[in-house]
Amino acid sequence: MHIVVAIKHIPSIADELPVRHNNIDFDSVDFVLNEWDEHSIEQAVLIKEAVGGTVTVIGVDVIGELDNALHLALAKGADRAVKIAAEEPGADSHQQAKWLAEAIQNMSPDLILSGVQASNDLDGQLGPLIAAYLDLPYIGGTSAIEVTNGKAMVLKEFPGGIGMRYEIALPFVAGVQAAPKPPRYAPVSKVRQIAQTAKVETIEPGEGESGGLRFLKMAPPVVTGHAEMIQGTAKEIAARIVELLKSRGLL
Amino acid sequence: MLTPFEKFVFFILALISAGFTLHGFVTIIRTIRLGRPAPPLKNLPQAFWKAAVTVLLQRTILRTRKLLSVIHMALFFGLITYAFVNLMDVLEGIVPGFDLVYSGKHVPGAPLALVRAYNLISDVMSGFLLFAITVFLVRRFILKDKALTYRENVLLYPKVKAGGPHKDSLIVGVFVIMHVSAHLMSQAFRLAEGPDPWMPLASFLNSISGASQIGVHIAWWVSIGWVMFIIPYLTRSKHSHFFMAPVNLALAKQNPRGQLDPAIPLKVIDGKTFEPGARVITDLAWKRILDAYACVQCNRCQDVCPANFYGRPLSPSALEVNKRYLLKDATFGGHPELLQAPLVEKVISPEAVWSCTTCYACVRICPVGNEPMADIVDIRRRLILEGFELDSGVQSALQSLATNGNWMGKGRRLRGRWAKELEFPIKNAAEEAVEYLWFVGDTASFDERVLPNTRMVARIFHQAGLDFGILYQQESNAGNDVRRVGEEGLFEQLVEQNLAAFGRAQFQRIVTTDPHSFNTLRNEYPQYGGRFEVEHYTMVLLRLLEEGRLTVKQRLSHYLVTYHDPCYLGRYNGVFAAPRKLLERIGVEFHEMPRNCENSFCCGAGGGQIWMGKVPPGERPAENRIREALATLQSYAGNGKKQLFIVACPKDMIMYSDAVKTTGSEGKIEVRDIIQLVAEAVGVVEPVSEAGA
Repeated sequence: MHIVVAIKHIPSIADELPVRHNNIDFDSVDFVLNEWDEHSIEQAVLIKEAVGGTVTVIGVDVIGELDNALHLALAKGADRAVKIAAEEPGADSHQQAKWLAEAIQNMSPDLILSGVQASNDLDGQLGPLIAAYLDLPYIGGTSAIEVTNGKAMVLKEFPGGIGMRYEIALPFVAGVQAAPKPPRYAPVSKVRQIAQTAKVETIEPGEGESGGLRFLKMAPPVVTGHAEMIQGTAKEIAARIVELLKSRGLL
Repeated sequence: MLTPFEKFVFFILALISAGFTLHGFVTIIRTIRLGRPAPPLKNLPQAFWKAAVTVLLQRTILRTRKLLSVIHMALFFGLITYAFVNLMDVLEGIVPGFDLVYSGKHVPGAPLALVRAYNLISDVMSGFLLFAITVFLVRRFILKDKALTYRENVLLYPKVKAGGPHKDSLIVGVFVIMHVSAHLMSQAFRLAEGPDPWMPLASFLNSISGASQIGVHIAWWVSIGWVMFIIPYLTRSKHSHFFMAPVNLALAKQNPRGQLDPAIPLKVIDGKTFEPGARVITDLAWKRILDAYACVQCNRCQDVCPANFYGRPLSPSALEVNKRYLLKDATFGGHPELLQAPLVEKVISPEAVWSCTTCYACVRICPVGNEPMADIVDIRRRLILEGFELDSGVQSALQSLATNGNWMGKGRRLRGRWAKELEFPIKNAAEEAVEYLWFVGDTASFDERVLPNTRMVARIFHQAGLDFGILYQQESNAGNDVRRVGEEGLFEQLVEQNLAAFGRAQFQRIVTTDPHSFNTLRNEYPQYGGRFEVEHYTMVLLRLLEEGRLTVKQRLSHYLVTYHDPCYLGRYNGVFAAPRKLLERIGVEFHEMPRNCENSFCCGAGGGQIWMGKVPPGERPAENRIREALATLQSYAGNGKKQLFIVACPKDMIMYSDAVKTTGSEGKIEVRDIIQLVAEAVGVVEPVSEAGA
């Protein structure tokens, strides 16, 4: 059982996003592991703990700092860490999917997991694109995956709290919405120990355009107005509300 | 007095008793030595001398439960006297003609005054002992004092649950009564020549029983026979307290209260390797094992425990008692495999482990110098390392601390943003030299409810002309509570980050807003090479007022206030005077709550509790504290003064403001940081723009 987890390193939204030259100012923003990828790693490690096998975590190293995220994954139970040294902070999910698919193809995986989406693109395309490049089936929005005898039972979530169970033959690609358990905590001492001893394999990105979207312009939202705070006594406030409603033809 | 046959039997029994006693002590010492190395102790003779004085004056016991403590004192001195009495009784038994009644007049050359004194003291002490033990037995078995029991939800070792400690108390209680009575009777039976004025109790008993040679023999055997049974028994019961408590007190923590023992012993012997923290009992330092033998389960720790207060399944005393029963089964009981049993299954539940606020009240109150809190932190350390499923709030706090250096999930760059809204710039200590490096802390840097106070501290420092700066995004959480939640690796990472930032800065001393940062910077950073003078802002403010760099323009006599000592400022670091002197200078009407200074009651936020996602129901410690404040101030109210609850910790601002709301006390009492009062008194106001925002 070989599970490959494709992860993304994305700008942290704990900071304010600085915009420069029509794009995020990648030099002055921290990069973090995509939140949903924490669930796909957890899901992979849970499957490994249940049925055995190995977990490989792979990601595009867009700013040269992916090692931290890979060490974290190793500390949580992944066996092998691979980075694609691309150093293109703006690489979109189409480009990343192409690079990842090329690398994963040689790994003969039984199951490929990715976070169902990431907060930088929010298009949920990484998983489906990898599946398309590798000609494998794709299922997104999973909340539990159990593997038995070359098949997987997958629970997929739909809006409104509806869940549906699928039986899928391996191999396939899944976009993980949530692991069945909260992602485990990796103690810092363990992560640091791994950082000193573990080897991260580096591969070069493949050549060629991926197609997909073309980036035109980025700008912070323009403030067009703000709420008017009505002050005064209750009567004055009520009068003002009536006046406003009338002026908009609502009364 | 004894016949040759009796002497023969006595020597045989004494030999057997001594053998079992020796076996008991050797077993205890061997068991203690199974523990890990503890931080080395200094000046042992001095420590033992200090402990002896403390024990003789019963100093640590008299801290609370005064009446019971005095009775304990009678028991203590009674038993000390009886050690001597037993020796004399044995001598009377085996040395022909050695007889101390009637002032020893039948013994040639006996010092009259000394024998009289001995007879009187032992006679009177016998009475005290009988009285004291009766009170304790009545308290436990008839009045069934609740203080001696545990909450239903506290994990108890099976034999503890079955009442083992009560059985021990009963056996020792019955022993004392029988032993003392028998001794008194043996004396009474000896008084063949009428009453002895130096032995009033024995003389009184003699007036009923008369003298009897057979009676002397029987009473002697009952009295001494009991002793020969009870001494080896003590080594196998909770009354190992008698011997181990003074030793434990002498070997108690010497390092500052605010300095936790490291997760792995500093002194590694025989090339042994240690996993950090404690999974099984032998993972604990040897002193933590000794603790268990010193504890007599008085439950004073449980009385002051904020977690226990609101129904959490934590009792520091139960932890110690469970430990001792486990050790007893593992050693005397012949089940050494118990030494490999997980602590969280046998001695403390995981829920109890995670409910400790690390307030130190249990350690402070313990009369025998135990540190149950240290066990808990060590257990946490191993649970975290072994991937125990953490509370979601704690986990996300730790993850944010690892990536952002703060627990609020805010970006590092936003840390100094509060300073941008001031009317003046604050120096970046990483770029220019300052006298005071102000270590702001997470809560004071990010929490909207606390930011106005943080800015006020800045304004007052500015007004006083203090040369100060902050580290902006280079400051990370100091790690006090990270360490106490058990994440030693993350704590070390934060220490490294802060020390690197301090290294880039030029300053003479550090001032903190947060008592928690204050504690670890002052007591723990030196172990990592960070030796600085560290002060809390209340200390700096007081000095500024004393030096006249700040002047009180308006005395705030219209406020009726009480003050809450933060655990990490007060109990941990003994800073009680500075905030009180500040309040005095400001001129408010100040009254102490019943639980103040060392006895202050934790707000419930420490040791990572403030991160917990799940909050169980019940009256929370902070709510109880607000009620205590209201009750305190009530007796002084009525003159129209505004009632304030004064804090000197950003976390307290949050905890108590919430508690005022949840107890429906709005309008009755208001929570204010001491800085707000200082500002009002020295006439520093917020600019209108902020006040109106």
